[in-house]
Amino acid sequence: MSEPIENQIERYETLLREMWTASAKYLGMFSVKLLVERVVWELSLEYREIELLEYDQDGISCARIAASLKKNPDLPVDDMFAKFTTRYLKILARLLGHEKTEKIAKKLNEEFGRIPFDSKGE
Amino acid sequence: MDKLKTGIKNLDHILCGGIPVYSLNIVSGSPGSGKTIFVQNIIFNSARNGLKSLYLTTISESQFKMVRHLQEFEFFSDDFLGDKVIYGDLGAVLREQGTDKVLGYLTEMIKRHLPNIVVIDSFKAIRDIFPDEKTFKAFVFDLAAALSIWEVTVFLVGEYEEQELTLLSEFAVADGIFHLYGQEEKRFQKRYLRILKMRGTNFEQGEHLFQISHAGIEVYPRMRPEGKELHYEVRPGRKGFGITGLDEMLCGGLTEGTITLISGGTGTGKTAFALKFLLDGAEKGEKGLFLSFEEPVAQLQDTARHLGWEMDRYLAEGRLDIKFISPIELDIDKHAFEILDMVREKKVERFVIDSISSFESRVSDIQKYKDYLWAIGQQLKRRHITTIFTVLNEDLFSPMVVTKAQISLMTDNIIILRYVEDDSSIKKVFGILKARGSNHSRALREYEITPNGINILGKLDRANMLR
Repeated sequence: MSEPIENQIERYETLLREMWTASAKYLGMFSVKLLVERVVWELSLEYREIELLEYDQDGISCARIAASLKKNPDLPVDDMFAKFTTRYLKILARLLGHEKTEKIAKKLNEEFGRIPFDSKGE
Repeated sequence: MDKLKTGIKNLDHILCGGIPVYSLNIVSGSPGSGKTIFVQNIIFNSARNGLKSLYLTTISESQFKMVRHLQEFEFFSDDFLGDKVIYGDLGAVLREQGTDKVLGYLTEMIKRHLPNIVVIDSFKAIRDIFPDEKTFKAFVFDLAAALSIWEVTVFLVGEYEEQELTLLSEFAVADGIFHLYGQEEKRFQKRYLRILKMRGTNFEQGEHLFQISHAGIEVYPRMRPEGKELHYEVRPGRKGFGITGLDEMLCGGLTEGTITLISGGTGTGKTAFALKFLLDGAEKGEKGLFLSFEEPVAQLQDTARHLGWEMDRYLAEGRLDIKFISPIELDIDKHAFEILDMVREKKVERFVIDSISSFESRVSDIQKYKDYLWAIGQQLKRRHITTIFTVLNEDLFSPMVVTKAQISLMTDNIIILRYVEDDSSIKKVFGILKARGSNHSRALREYEITPNGINILGKLDRANMLR
């Protein structure tokens, strides 16, 4: 039986928060916000719903995406968040270097399972 | 760390490979110091490497004028305009919408064009529009963060004076600072570049000469002697002059890879001795380079013919090269660097500079002259090139002054040419003052320069001829 959508979104929100906190250690909150803004903009060409992601200096929230899913349950959230994470980590790797990004990806993998980050991907 | 190659001659060498990518760099200098050409040269070179640049003008120079002026340069290509080099007018946004819309406009432009490089020219003009330093500082921080997240390497161009470089907030935020300036020096209007800061890479500090020509910017790195002790292999070989008597006094010739100073008054034959040294090498198949600051090639060819020496054939066969640089054109900052380039390229084994006195006369700062000669000397020794520097001794009848600037300290061997009075005639004598690590004759011997070459005559045994 598949996982309820609310639980899925909650899991992604925790993942994004972890990712935010881990990268803020290196980039600072302000730059992390800018990085999220960039990834949202890039991904919005493919998934408009990603624009519903809320973020500011205090953190990140998927509440509006969860609400939208009630109207549009067919939204491929797994693909959308997988692509978001991949793009985010790829840019992070170019900014910080692969070693630090690998460390972040490894930590996320330990907590959330397979994170699609390939350090040799660039 | 990945680097952006500027493609400017010798600049990437100074920067140990280039400018770190995603860095924020300030290019500062007075109006006319070459800031805009410097950055334009970088972006057009980068366009050739497939990189895209966004060049935003403010209120200093219109795009139309800028492009018009750029057409004079070889690096410019209008094929890149609108594709790899995109111009935008940030000035209009500032005037019509105010400073708080600048970041939004920049982000929109970046989203639209996805550039690798962003230039704002002039950034100083933006600073002047902000109401206070605090707001401007916050803007600079936000700008730096936003542009780095978009993986953009930034150049902020501004008419900053040197004293502002340590005071204004943008210089604290910047990762790199290039300061361009000019000054009058010995009748030359010279341009210099200094890198004041470059995070994430080593770079060669100090004042580097640059020039602007049709080719664009060319940098001539500051030559400085290395602080660390010079280690080089002393080879046992000897390189003679092919002058009987002189080679014997030197126990076969100059030790390979050493530097020799030939000091003498005008007309004593310094040039002839040095030329003969290269011709003897050419005869043995050793490549020689004669760098003349005093006599043009044709004049040296005449001298060789007059002395009965084969030279034209060696020139034609490439065994000997003569490079003449007019003393009027001599620019030590530029030529010191080019000399070493020539020596490297031509794989020279014997090398002459005739004379280092001309070098000295072109430098406003005697310490700079010494630094250059030490640096050249170190490089030549490291490459095992047997070298002669000739130097003019203005005191014709005295050997006591070898050089005014203590250059003799850096040389391994010293040969003195001088005049002596003998009753009612003047004779020429020479002696070897020093031959480091080698035996040599201490005798003073008379010599003559005739249509048959240089003849070494007998010992000078009448001490009263010296005074």
